[in-house]
Amino acid sequence: MSLVTEVVVPRYGIAWYPWAVQYFFLIALSYTSLWVAAPGIILGKQSWLNTSRLALLACVSTTLVAPVALLADLHQPLRFWHFYAHPTPWSWMSIGSFLLPLHLVCTVLLAWLAWRPALKARSQANDSWFSRIAGWIAWGNWQVSRKVMVLVGLAALATSLGMMIYTGAEVAIVKGRPLWHTAWLPPMFVATGAIGVCGLILFLNRLSGMRNADTNRQMLGIMAGACVVAGFIALTWFLDGANAVSGSVAAALDSVDQSSAWRTTAIEGGTAGVLLAVLAFLVRRAPGRRKAFGWILGLLALHVAWMFRWVVLMNVQTVARNSAGFHDYEIALGSYGLTGVIGIFGLWLTALLLIELFVPWREASLDPRRDAPAPADHSSATDAPASSASASADSQGVRHG
Amino acid sequence: MDPIRRSLLGQLARLSAGAAMVPWSSVASAGINDQPARREGDPTKRYGMLIDLRQCIGCQACTVSCHIENDAPLGNFRTIVSQFEVEEENTGEVATFMLPRLCNHCDNPPCVPVCPVQATYQRQDGIVVVDNDRCVGCAYCVNACPYDARFINEKTQTADKCTFCAHRLEAGLLPACVESCVGGARMIGNMRDPDSEISRMMEKHRDELMVLQPEKGTVPQVFYLGMDERFTQRPEAEPGIWDVINEAGKELGYEFGH
Repeated sequence: MSLVTEVVVPRYGIAWYPWAVQYFFLIALSYTSLWVAAPGIILGKQSWLNTSRLALLACVSTTLVAPVALLADLHQPLRFWHFYAHPTPWSWMSIGSFLLPLHLVCTVLLAWLAWRPALKARSQANDSWFSRIAGWIAWGNWQVSRKVMVLVGLAALATSLGMMIYTGAEVAIVKGRPLWHTAWLPPMFVATGAIGVCGLILFLNRLSGMRNADTNRQMLGIMAGACVVAGFIALTWFLDGANAVSGSVAAALDSVDQSSAWRTTAIEGGTAGVLLAVLAFLVRRAPGRRKAFGWILGLLALHVAWMFRWVVLMNVQTVARNSAGFHDYEIALGSYGLTGVIGIFGLWLTALLLIELFVPWREASLDPRRDAPAPADHSSATDAPASSASASADSQGVRHG
Repeated sequence: MDPIRRSLLGQLARLSAGAAMVPWSSVASAGINDQPARREGDPTKRYGMLIDLRQCIGCQACTVSCHIENDAPLGNFRTIVSQFEVEEENTGEVATFMLPRLCNHCDNPPCVPVCPVQATYQRQDGIVVVDNDRCVGCAYCVNACPYDARFINEKTQTADKCTFCAHRLEAGLLPACVESCVGGARMIGNMRDPDSEISRMMEKHRDELMVLQPEKGTVPQVFYLGMDERFTQRPEAEPGIWDVINEAGKELGYEFGH
């Protein structure tokens, strides 16, 4: 036996910055929120309509902001066009660069079509600038058929699956980082994404003043299910690798064994995950609790989804590959660090507020004849047919609430 | 945990998880992330390097000459000699182990297929290079390389790495690190030519040569002679350097431990 001490080794920095965390966080919310938007907006399920409207808002806002974070993580952002000048079908990142704009176009198109009936209605209401802008966004008085909407929706769902697969595979194929190189990472991204999106919708449900009881029930149900799935994935990842000498689990155990920071992270992460699962099960059982604590649980869920990505993408990069110990990483203040993180959240908030201001997203609908509410101002009801009265009552009351 | 229980747990995991794993593995083997065709360079050559660790004295002449030749930013290295203090626990004897590191110009380079714009590619003579005009600086290759041979050059904001000094080879010169090596420890040459010095050395020492992290399947083409097998992996060592920070919180540099 001998004792080895490092005397000269270089210090290796991290290569992906917190921008990557923001991208992976937002894009996971983007594709999972589309799935929540699907029942109400694409498949026309009435009981899901309000939840799906919130999900559509979540989907558009995250889909718009995520590519900004991705672009910012490039060291040469203005060279983004190289992705399209040199298509590289064997690189997951290149595949992603083609999928991402498709996904963006499909989801924004879907949302626009779903928002148009309400936009047209607002454009005919007497609301000065807001009416005028609603008219511009609606872009004419035409109406697509339900069939077209469903087709666009299915295309968006297809691209969302592509996004799910590419974002997972892109990281999981990296052999150079054993902690990433596991088939269990992509499903875990999806499961934590689902947890996050339930949290986001619970939070938006409260923040927007909709306070829809069904939404709380549906989202807490899915969140509890996603927690169980995530727990199952984590357990299987562990069991699958527990007897291996090297690989993802061995690397994780090494890190936890050698570093107190990793021990703290493991304990915090585990506690937050278990706490979230237990609370989700407890809160979802009683309507009163759902109403009171749903949004707090939502914030915890968002925290879990974000922290998972931070640990996976940032902390894993601090595990040295060719020297002993762990690299120091302290989040910088500038655009490579904190400013970037806060900036992206700020941009996201801006996107949400702009949509809130100019788009009556609460009245998004697959079938305007069936779902579209009568405009708030009844005297100018010109676009809503007589049969629409029932579905609209809840949504118009909270338009500015 | 005893081995039988561990393997039972593994089997259980596979039973429960096997079904879910199938689609993922088929996606992964669908040709994505395969090596693209090599381009440019002389197809009749295959450059490789042999480092005779018995000759290395850890003087860092290679580190310095490479830094000057290739204008790397301070703190980033295309090559460096890692040094370790090895103390025999029984006898208390102390020795120094030197490990020159550089890009391994692998035969199965994990950094190449990940590049989304084909800016990094392998030439037909085996040298892995980066086209800095095309590189978008996504740093995917930096993460993909298990040897930490790549970094983002803060001056060019693109990926940077050892090129075996391809520009010097083309001019009939040796790479800066080979040229400056005091002990003659570094040797570069065409491994396709059976009469080249590197081919003859490899033939002579075939059984003693080692590469770094062979289990990664990257097939490195930098061979070490006189290697201690423990050092082919991430060293199980005491980390020996700390950052030194002054009273104002400004970094002064490194300080060695103890």
